[in-house]
Amino acid sequence: MNLRVVVASLVVSLKSFYREKTTMFFTTTFPILLILVFGTIFQDQDKLNFDLCLQDLDQTQTTAEIAKTLSLTGKFNVTKVDPNIDATQYAKTNQVNLVVIIPKDYEKSCIRYLQFGDPNAFVTIKFVYDPSSNSVDTKMRILDIIFAKLNQGMSGKPPFAMTEEISILTRKYRFIEFFIPGVIAMAVMTASLFGTVNVNTELRQKGIIRKLSTTPITRSDWVLSNILYQFILAVISTTAMLIVSYAVFDVKLQINAWLPLFIVLDVFTFVGIGLILTRIVKEAQSAAAAANALIFPMMFLSGSFFPLEMMPRFLQTFARALPLYYVNEGLRASMVFHDNAAALNYAAIIGTFAALVFILGIIATKWEEGN
Amino acid sequence: MTKKTEYVIEVEKLTKRYGDLPAVNDISFNVRKGEVFALLGPNGAGKTTTVEIIDTIRTPTSGKVRLLGMDVTKKKRDIVPRIGVLPQGFSSFDRITVRETMQYYSRLFCCRNADIDRLIALVNLNDKAKEQYMNLSGGLKQRLGIAIALVNDPEVVFLDEPTTGLDPRARREVWEVLLGLKQAGKTVFLTTHYMEEAELLADTVAIISKGKIIAMDSPVQLIESNADYLVLTLQSIGEKAFDVVEKMGFAPELNNHKSLNVKVTGTDDIRKILNAMEDAGVSLLNMDVRKPNLEQVFLKLTGEALHEGTSGGKGAE
Repeated sequence: MNLRVVVASLVVSLKSFYREKTTMFFTTTFPILLILVFGTIFQDQDKLNFDLCLQDLDQTQTTAEIAKTLSLTGKFNVTKVDPNIDATQYAKTNQVNLVVIIPKDYEKSCIRYLQFGDPNAFVTIKFVYDPSSNSVDTKMRILDIIFAKLNQGMSGKPPFAMTEEISILTRKYRFIEFFIPGVIAMAVMTASLFGTVNVNTELRQKGIIRKLSTTPITRSDWVLSNILYQFILAVISTTAMLIVSYAVFDVKLQINAWLPLFIVLDVFTFVGIGLILTRIVKEAQSAAAAANALIFPMMFLSGSFFPLEMMPRFLQTFARALPLYYVNEGLRASMVFHDNAAALNYAAIIGTFAALVFILGIIATKWEEGN
Repeated sequence: MTKKTEYVIEVEKLTKRYGDLPAVNDISFNVRKGEVFALLGPNGAGKTTTVEIIDTIRTPTSGKVRLLGMDVTKKKRDIVPRIGVLPQGFSSFDRITVRETMQYYSRLFCCRNADIDRLIALVNLNDKAKEQYMNLSGGLKQRLGIAIALVNDPEVVFLDEPTTGLDPRARREVWEVLLGLKQAGKTVFLTTHYMEEAELLADTVAIISKGKIIAMDSPVQLIESNADYLVLTLQSIGEKAFDVVEKMGFAPELNNHKSLNVKVTGTDDIRKILNAMEDAGVSLLNMDVRKPNLEQVFLKLTGEALHEGTSGGKGAE
């Protein structure tokens, strides 16, 4: 291993990168765009209050109190719907996913129930809803709980079974905080794999690798300069992503030594896989297609964007066979959950895998025209 | 000094097969220190395979190749710093300038004292030193490739088809650089399918066809020993000249310019033909007598043309 040679090759790669403005633009801005786009889309996941349309057909003091109570829970921003219009039509016209209808004679029935204990004095609160909406189920579940509490309160007896929440985390994390480590892992993977495959197939096709093989640079020197180059790019894009995350989404993530470690392991793993792919696939275009075929399942199935619990069980098992899963989970363990033991565990697994593919990558790198 | 040590390249019974196909078939030759050795042959003859085995890019199937006294299959690490290679279809990093490219290769060889400016001047690229590789024309790229091959002050320089794909002017500019190397006393191993190139530059030419070396000598000797005839070209009015020459027992050929080529053994034949023309009343417009060149030697030895046309380049400058 000759450090002078490694550094010289690294400088050539960095200069080429800097002078290729389009590549530079996409390498740095793509992950930032990803954070901005997905962060904005998934911001709703962290939303604590929902919009709620309420049609009060009774228009009494009691029903006005209900509207007030619903607002006071902090879960809903209540919009009142004119009692004289059709709720279903209203929902369709205004693209509202839920209209809660408080029936006429609500107050009267309430008085009969409370003062005379009339068992037939009950009311039915109607939920006019759009089943195709994602958040409507959550809204109706919250309303069910609120009305259950109301019923229980009206019965005059203290509740029997009560619940208490104990979080395993020191604080509740937001979806965007869950999402950012996944995007970092994914962006580093994509850049390392594509970068290695593109550069090496291009250099091989153009005969530059053949020329290099007639100089004292060794395979290990070349591979190491590839790794260092990808690591520098990864540090640049990760820094950009973190700055945007802090500035735009005000995230609270723990940045410590685990972050560079997982980035290094991410780079080693996917440069190694890239080198193996370069050997297997000869043409630059098919190599890019093969890299895509690896990246896409990894991107969506390893929990970069969505928590694994959202996926069917067999896919969850499959995810555990993907190297990116361990980078995702390791980064989350350190940045979000502050769990050093888990981070160490994930680092050990991905570290072993990285060492293996890296060695295979060096072996796969064709320096002489062997046959 | 023994005879063996005079040779910087020793090739003995070299064979290279791709599957069942022999690309190079049991060839042997030696290259002396300080000579320009040209391997001349058509595309697919085995030139590149041979040079790439000698300069350590490929491995042989069988046979022995010694470069600077070392086995190329075992001593690559010791050989590489002492040789310079311009591979076939040389290319470099698109966005790196001429000077930076030279500096990079110089660093690969850890040459602290490489005189990059002198090398850039040698290949006449001074004006282009700050130009990125991608903006150079074909001829300039090849010249940069040659300069890179010299960056470690090598004892042997391998140039694999250095002028293929260049237009005639660019080719001549590369030849000037190569003549400079020859004058500087470098040992140069050159492959080419341009016979003018071999004739102009080489001290020794080995003609390779279908993986076999079929003749090897200095260009002059090759022509002398393989083409002991002269070519008489006659241009006349009418077609009577053809019949006259044919009746005399020669085998005339009409060439593209409607003139007549006749192979003759000496000046006596020429005199006889001219007399016969005069007797038959043929008026000659033009007459030319030439010695055959390597192209004709190659044609005679192999029965196939060396390449189609002599300019044949696709590059531009």
